[in-house]
Amino acid sequence: MARTSAASPARAFMNSSDRDKDTPSRNEPPAQQMARRLIKSNRSQRTEGHTAARAAASACDKLYRELSRWVGPDGCHALFTRALAQARIDHPALEPIQLHARSDPYIDGVAETIIAHGDPATAAGLEAMLVHLIELLGRLIGDDMAMKLIERSVAASERGDPTSDRREEA
Amino acid sequence: MSGNGQDRAVIRSLPSGVPGLDTVLGGGLPEFSFNLIAGGPGSGKTTLAHQIMFANAKVERPALYFTVLGEPTLKMLRYQRQFTYFDPELAGSAIQFINLSAEVMERNLTEVLQRIVSEIEQAKPGIVVVDSFRTIAGQQRPDKASAFDLDQFVQRLALHLTTWEVTSFLLGEYAAEEQRNPVFTVADGILWLSQATDRNSVVRKLQVVKARGRAPMPGLHTFRINDDGLQIFPRIPEQTRNRAPSKRERLSTGVPGMDEMIGGGVIAGDAVMLTGPAGSGKSTVATQFMIAGLSAGETGVIAVFEEYPEEYIARANARNPEVGTMIKEGKLAVIYLRPLDLSVDEALFAILEAVDRLGAKRVVIDSLSGFEVALAPTFREDFRESLYRLVGTLTATGVTVFMTAEVSEAFSEARFTTEKVSFITDEIIVQRYIEMEGALWRVMAVIKMRGSDHTHQFRLYEVTSKGVVVGGSLTEYDGIITGVPTLRAKPTKAKRGK
Repeated sequence: MARTSAASPARAFMNSSDRDKDTPSRNEPPAQQMARRLIKSNRSQRTEGHTAARAAASACDKLYRELSRWVGPDGCHALFTRALAQARIDHPALEPIQLHARSDPYIDGVAETIIAHGDPATAAGLEAMLVHLIELLGRLIGDDMAMKLIERSVAASERGDPTSDRREEA
Repeated sequence: MSGNGQDRAVIRSLPSGVPGLDTVLGGGLPEFSFNLIAGGPGSGKTTLAHQIMFANAKVERPALYFTVLGEPTLKMLRYQRQFTYFDPELAGSAIQFINLSAEVMERNLTEVLQRIVSEIEQAKPGIVVVDSFRTIAGQQRPDKASAFDLDQFVQRLALHLTTWEVTSFLLGEYAAEEQRNPVFTVADGILWLSQATDRNSVVRKLQVVKARGRAPMPGLHTFRINDDGLQIFPRIPEQTRNRAPSKRERLSTGVPGMDEMIGGGVIAGDAVMLTGPAGSGKSTVATQFMIAGLSAGETGVIAVFEEYPEEYIARANARNPEVGTMIKEGKLAVIYLRPLDLSVDEALFAILEAVDRLGAKRVVIDSLSGFEVALAPTFREDFRESLYRLVGTLTATGVTVFMTAEVSEAFSEARFTTEKVSFITDEIIVQRYIEMEGALWRVMAVIKMRGSDHTHQFRLYEVTSKGVVVGGSLTEYDGIITGVPTLRAKPTKAKRGK
C-alpha cells in the first residue's frame, strides 16, 4: 500500500480515491484538480478499451510535448523524472514506469504496470506523478504561471490534437 | 510616388519599456529592426530583452522568445518572474516561450531557421527574441554542416524577420574583438552591455554601437538592474532641456545677515557653493536656504550623501518642525544617494526626477565631498567633468543649486575652496575657524559672486539652536585669514551674532 504523509498531495489523492474522479472537489489542491482535468480531457477522447491508466499516461505524454515546447525536452524530462521519483514513494506500483526523453510516447512500461498492479493503481500512480510535477513547476516558476502552461496542454487535449497522441499504438 | 519624400516608408518607434533607454536610442526602438543585444555573462541581456518584450507584446501581436542552450528556460522564468515587469498573465498568450535546444543539438542551421520561420508564420508575432543566438552558431558541428553557413543563416533570418514585420533581438555573448562576426554587419541596431570592476565596485554600462535610422546618444551610459529591471541613466541629459531665462531675482538664504553679505540674496538660477571645515555649519546653512524657499511657497529637493535621510530630517526638524510636514505635503523631497558605486548620471537622474515631480525651484546638494565618495572609483577620476555636467544641467532647468563642500585645512592655512570644483559655481562662500581671545570662533566671507556686488569683509557667525546667525565684522583685526587675527588698533570686544 502506498505510504503517504498526512499533508501530502498524495494523501489528499488517496483520501479521495473513492469519489468520482471526474468531478473536481473544492477541497482538492489546485494541482490535483489540474491533473484530473488533464486526465479527463484524454479519457473523454478515448474509445472502448481505453483504461484510466492509459488516459493518465496519454495526459503525461501530451504534457511532456507541450511543456517541452516551453522549457525544452531536457528541462521537461528533468521535471518528470523528479515527479516520478516523488510519486514512487507513495505508489510503488510505478516501479516499471520509464521515461524516455525526446521519444513518443514519452512514458514507457504502462502496459506492464497495468498487468502487474492493475489499472486503478497504475492510474493513481500516474495521477500522483502529474500532481507532483504541477506542484514542482509551481514552486519553480510560480503557481499561476505553472497553471497557465499546463492549461495550454489541457486546451490542446480538449481540441483533440490528432498528432498529439500515440498512446493507443504503444 | 510623389518623389518629394512624402511617400517614403515611415519607421515608427517602439517604446523599449526600459526607463532611460528610449532617450539613449534617440526616440525608441525602430519598428521591424533586427537588433543584437551583446555583452558578457551577467551583463543583463536576458533581462533587457524581457523588459522590451513585456512592454510590447499583445495578444494580437504576440512576442516569441526562443531559448536555445544558454540559461535553462525553467531557471530563466524562475528568475525573470522576480521582476515587476513580468506579467504572468501575458505568458502563454501574448508571450510564448519556445525552446530550440532539440533543433540546435540534433539538426543543422537550416532546420533551426525553418523552425523559427514556422513559429513566426503561425504566431505572427510583433517581437521575436533569440536567446542566446551565440549558442546556435557555437553548436553547429562540422559533421552536421548545413546547406549554408552562418553568414547566410544570419542574412536569411534577418530577411525573414523583416519581411514578417517583426522587431527582433538576438542575444549573444560577444567580446569586443569579435565585432567582425557577420551578425554585426547585418544587425540594424547593436546594444552592448558591459560591467566593469574597479577596486570593489562594479559599474554597468550600455552603449548603442549601431542604430540605423536613429541618432542615438553617444558614449557609455550607466545602468542599474533593480526589481523593476534595467534603469538606464543617459550620459547626457535630455537635450530638450533649455536653460530657463534668469530673472536675476534674489532668493533669501534664510540666514540672518547673510543676504546682506551677498548683495541681497542668492541670484535665482545660480550655483552656490559653501565651503568650510567639519562642524562649521554648512549643512545648517543649506537647510536654512531650503526652508526659506519653502516658506516662500517654493518647492525643493535636498540630496544628502553624508548621513541617512532620517537623521538629516530629524536634525532639520529640530530646528524647524515644518520640515517633516513639508515632506509629507510633497513640497520637499530628501533624496538619499550613498551607494558607493554611484554614477554622476544616476545622481543627476534622481535629482532631476524629483525636481520635475515637485516643480522644485531650489536644490541642495549636501555635500560634494560625500557625493565624490559615493561615486564608483571610475567616476571619481572624472569628477570635475561630471560635476560640470550635473550643475550645468540642473541650473539649465532654472533651479538654484546650493552645494556644500568640506575643505580640510591646517588651522593656520586657509583653503577657500576645493580647487576641483570651484570653477563650476557662480557664487562661493567660505567658512573657517579662527582663534581669538583664547576661544574658537567662526567666520565667513564671500569669495565669488558672479555679476553682483558683495561684502569683502570676514563676518563672525554662530550656529545657534535656531540655525546660523551672521554677526559683525572684524574690522579692527588683521591676519584673520591666518586663523590667528591680531588686534590692529584700540581693542574692542568681538561681538558674536547680532
